[in-house]
Amino acid sequence: MIQLFGVSKKYGTFRDALVDVSFRIDPGEFVFLTGPSGAGKSTLLRLLFLEEPPSAGQIIVNGRNIGVLPQSQIPYLRRTMGVVFQDFKLIGRKTVFENIAFVQNVLGLARVEQKRRAYHVLKRVGLHHLMNAYPDELSGGEQQRVAIARAIVNEPTVLLADEPTGNLDPVLAEEIMRLFVEFNIRGTTVVVATHDVEMIRRMGKRTLTLERGHLHDPDRARESAPIVREAPFLPLS
Amino acid sequence: MPRLRYVVSEAWSVARSSPRQAAAAITLISLALYVPGLLALVSHNLGRLAVTEAEPTAVVLTLEAQADARALAARLATDVRIKTVRIVGSDAALERFRRAYPDLGAALADLKEAPFPPSVEVVLKPGAAPRTATEIAAAARLWPGVDSAESEEEFSRRFRDAIALVRNAGLFLGAVLTLAAILSVASAVRLALDLHRDEVGIMRLMGATESAIRAPFWLYATAEGFIGGGLALGLLYATYRFATHWLARDPHPVLAVLWVGFLSVPTALLLPAAGAAAGLVGSLLSLGKKQTRRVTRIA
Repeated sequence: MIQLFGVSKKYGTFRDALVDVSFRIDPGEFVFLTGPSGAGKSTLLRLLFLEEPPSAGQIIVNGRNIGVLPQSQIPYLRRTMGVVFQDFKLIGRKTVFENIAFVQNVLGLARVEQKRRAYHVLKRVGLHHLMNAYPDELSGGEQQRVAIARAIVNEPTVLLADEPTGNLDPVLAEEIMRLFVEFNIRGTTVVVATHDVEMIRRMGKRTLTLERGHLHDPDRARESAPIVREAPFLPLS
Repeated sequence: MPRLRYVVSEAWSVARSSPRQAAAAITLISLALYVPGLLALVSHNLGRLAVTEAEPTAVVLTLEAQADARALAARLATDVRIKTVRIVGSDAALERFRRAYPDLGAALADLKEAPFPPSVEVVLKPGAAPRTATEIAAAARLWPGVDSAESEEEFSRRFRDAIALVRNAGLFLGAVLTLAAILSVASAVRLALDLHRDEVGIMRLMGATESAIRAPFWLYATAEGFIGGGLALGLLYATYRFATHWLARDPHPVLAVLWVGFLSVPTALLLPAAGAAAGLVGSLLSLGKKQTRRVTRIA
């Protein structure tokens, strides 16, 4: 579950990227985050993924107040979330397999297990035959699917995607969206930031609309009782 | 802690991404350690000459071959300022030389006669007045059977001072050059980090811990320092071999003393160890800044 309570983000003194944003996303929900360029979609995802702290307010992810999470715990929380970026963010000098497996490598997982997991997720995105290819040998759609495979390899409870189809043609974009729906059906909470209104209409999912940092969400009102204590959070074993 | 295999493979990848900077840092480290290593070698060999006994010899009487050493020693012993008188025969002098210079000692084995004349060494009582040794030497020069008599006091002090000077110069130069090497490694690591900035960012987003991100850079810099130290050691040994080879062809009585032997194994191994330490310190300096992340203020 994701909850925001009166979250604001300021850059400098005058620029308000987000203003008093509050909403709730239930476990297993599929939510689109939309709005024009500069509305605050990417900022909101960055806050959810702890790339930046909010200027005010509280953010709860899976019952944890991420605003008071110690710095040392951030990597462990990030491993429970998957992120897909518009520009894929693949490491060029690593193969597809290495791009997917490196966090497991850091964790000390046996290479056999790394391969098994990487093969499994690549099969889900239809790229298991390209495990040893390098990112620059792949098409845009394939690179995005590798990025998705990397995002889901740790079996995250939450999948965040920032304009995941922004660089893809409509056919590939549809294919990527189908993958997200598939993960959602399996229980993953999916939040997709996009300004592709046509796609949102076709998908028929819940939509949060941001405009100049303000949220327009007619369905859900703000939560009244913020959680102020952080539960102990243990690293993944 | 991150897995060793991951750390090693990432460190290798970092080194491959900026080979020129790595080579420059290794070269600088090797030069930085070579210079103090060379001075350490010279002072080590000079140190063999220095008297290390608790009771340093104050006066040495070199005797003529037919002189009565015992009679001369007895005459010296009557002086109340003298604590001990030692008679050093030709064979004992040769044995002492062989112990101090095992490499050169072998060269004297084929000589038909002893190269060192007999001598008498005088140790003064503690608290003896200054110039006592000079006075005793001056008096002894007039005795029959005494070829020469030299006061060792002044020479010994100057010699020890010279060795200390060489050693201190080595330490000072070593400290300055090691600092330069550390800064060089730090900048090489910073550059490598800059080249991998995007990757580091992605790794961080994917949940890599700070130690997992930094460990390959630590290893990279430590290995750079270790290789630099190893190169310095190799260079030093090559210099020593060249010097001994050159002196064997063209002997020189003074220079030969500087190249009598190489550093002991533990001392020699200090060079790569110091290089590794310099590399590690350099990487810690360049990666020491903690990432800042302001804690959210609760409204």
